[in-house]
Amino acid sequence: MGRRRRRTTTTEPAPTTETTTTTTSGGMDGGGGGGGGMDGGGGGMGGACYIYPNTPATPGMVTPDVSYDRSVFMNGSMRMDDGRNVPMWGFTDNFADGGMNASGSFPSPAMRMNVGDIVHTRLNVSMMNGVHTVHHHGIEPADHADGVGHVTWDVDGTYTYQWRPMSPGTYFYHCHTNTVLHAEMGMYGALIVDPPEGPGTLLSGGPTYNSEAFWVVDEIDSRWHTLNWTAGTCGADVGLNVLEPDYFVITGVDGSGSSAMNLPPISGQMRVGQKLLARYICAGYHPQEVRIPSGLNAKIYISDGRALPTPQRTTKFRAISGERYDMIIEPTQPGNYVVEFDIKDWITGNVWGTARTNVVVTA
Amino acid sequence: MDRRNFLKAGSAGLASVVLGGSGLLSWSPRAHAETLTKTLYITDGFVSMITGEDVYFKGFSNARNMLNLPGESIIVQEGDTVELTIVNTLGSNHQFDINGYNGRFTLSNGDRVRVVNIPSGGEVSFSFVAANPGSYLYLDPSNAPYNRLVGLHGGLAIMPGNSSTRLYDGSPRFVQQHFWIFNDIDPVWHNAIRNGNRPNTRYVPRYFSLNGLGGRPPGAPGAHDPNIDAITDPRSALHGHVGDRTLIRMFNVGKADQSVHAHANHMEWLTENGQVRDDVWEKDCLYLESNIGAIDAIYPFESPPDAWPPVNTGAYPMHLHTEMSQTAGGGYYMFGAMTDIYFE
Repeated sequence: MGRRRRRTTTTEPAPTTETTTTTTSGGMDGGGGGGGGMDGGGGGMGGACYIYPNTPATPGMVTPDVSYDRSVFMNGSMRMDDGRNVPMWGFTDNFADGGMNASGSFPSPAMRMNVGDIVHTRLNVSMMNGVHTVHHHGIEPADHADGVGHVTWDVDGTYTYQWRPMSPGTYFYHCHTNTVLHAEMGMYGALIVDPPEGPGTLLSGGPTYNSEAFWVVDEIDSRWHTLNWTAGTCGADVGLNVLEPDYFVITGVDGSGSSAMNLPPISGQMRVGQKLLARYICAGYHPQEVRIPSGLNAKIYISDGRALPTPQRTTKFRAISGERYDMIIEPTQPGNYVVEFDIKDWITGNVWGTARTNVVVTA
Repeated sequence: MDRRNFLKAGSAGLASVVLGGSGLLSWSPRAHAETLTKTLYITDGFVSMITGEDVYFKGFSNARNMLNLPGESIIVQEGDTVELTIVNTLGSNHQFDINGYNGRFTLSNGDRVRVVNIPSGGEVSFSFVAANPGSYLYLDPSNAPYNRLVGLHGGLAIMPGNSSTRLYDGSPRFVQQHFWIFNDIDPVWHNAIRNGNRPNTRYVPRYFSLNGLGGRPPGAPGAHDPNIDAITDPRSALHGHVGDRTLIRMFNVGKADQSVHAHANHMEWLTENGQVRDDVWEKDCLYLESNIGAIDAIYPFESPPDAWPPVNTGAYPMHLHTEMSQTAGGGYYMFGAMTDIYFE
């Protein structure tokens, strides 16, 4: 593991599902087709256009409090409930070879630190895997630590992002190179910022919790998962304007059926009198509707890493891509409560599919 | 396509059609209300996309030989009398309305109407007294949603009469303001509208725009040209020093729900669809509904809070996180609805 400092935690980190390594690595076979151009600053490689490869020194580098090493794998797959394997990419903490021979998990390994920690995210991308970045979504660092290629660079070697989170809450990190495709392919992981008190406290002076559930809800269009990392960047019509999902996942598990039920830490397991913190990330591109049984007594305290002025009780809310909601769940009655996430078409509002998990409350 | 149908000014594509007259109608803090006049021309033409595809649009334009997409933003002050003349240069009837504004328009003959009809080839003058400060979208409500989708829309801001730095009484303050008007574009629909037909195909947007433009990343044709590139278009790109709190009046005239995602600062979320929110939430992603969804938010231009060492300058993107909207023609990532934010 790249993490240098270990803390005692009361909860498990965000879960991941092991993907199956295949024998070939992710696409370096170009593609993209006609159009576009490589004039000016849009340096390219492997058939990509409008990418900006570079690996400069990190400005103002200091010794970090917490460090994460990440490389890239592009040869994974996820086995769905119908038996089909869907190709997936991601970040791995197998750093040494830049991901050349790595396998990994979906979602990618979580990052977790305390407010005020100086954090290093060290990204190593092998030439075989093209270029990528790490954007810490919702974290607001200097631009050279923001991981956005067109304003800084795409990483084609090793680069260290240095940042210091100042607001507790749920975030996520994802690749920001050809983002429309790379994030869809699974190149993201949870990012949790704890208050100085550490896990078990949501906000300083605010609520505490006994356990956590991680609801990272995403949709997958398996057609997109046949594309290579450069797809569309030079102007070929590869259909990235049309996302027609056929799988609906929750924290790396096919959520359409029962696979995400009774599966901590996706599902919650708690007793009456305890508090569960549910960390929800709208990781897909289509809008989502979240339905939480009223008996769970859910209350939102944080959204997008910022405390709400007035916490809000909720049984149903909608969310859009990239939003996060942190909810304290405090049921008063035992039961098996099913939480549902509808993935709705961004144009028609029709439901493409539903992911489900549950919270099991015992006396 | 038939290039004879190009407007003369539009024949070179976006470069010459979009911006002509980029100033706002007339607004700076004033002690007294004024009478403001403006003429808009309903025009049409084609816009060349990055793919080379020419797409048909109509617009509320600043001159007969121009095509403004969207119509020029208008900022007035509460109590101002706004006198508008609309010249319809096209062979189709159109209307003018201000979405969500409950006032009446007074025609030159004294009649008061809820919606102004502008017949084919006609010219209509009317006025209204600006009330109810806030953000509005002016548009052609007829043949909905088609005339709106094809470009007949623009932003209208009514500033409070007693404040040059607030959106409404008691709102957080700002020092500058922008409109972000998002659209999604299905060329098949636009072509049907051009031919006077109601589109009968599934709506499949292939282009996504911010204030009428898509992004052009560094190295792309048109990159850094503010008439072509949404990333540098001064109507869209935010420039400020730390402390230059910026009000953004957002509208989504398209048919797809969008996630407005800002980097470097969270946005202070003030209103949703014309309603002041009970609390001001700080968000990095805002749910902007389709079909005239509206949000007012302040980008605070605070030092990026998570930088180490601390910084006060830098460049960051604002983009839609509904990532399909970052494409053009099914590919071309970064040629969709996005812009940049410059800490100077």
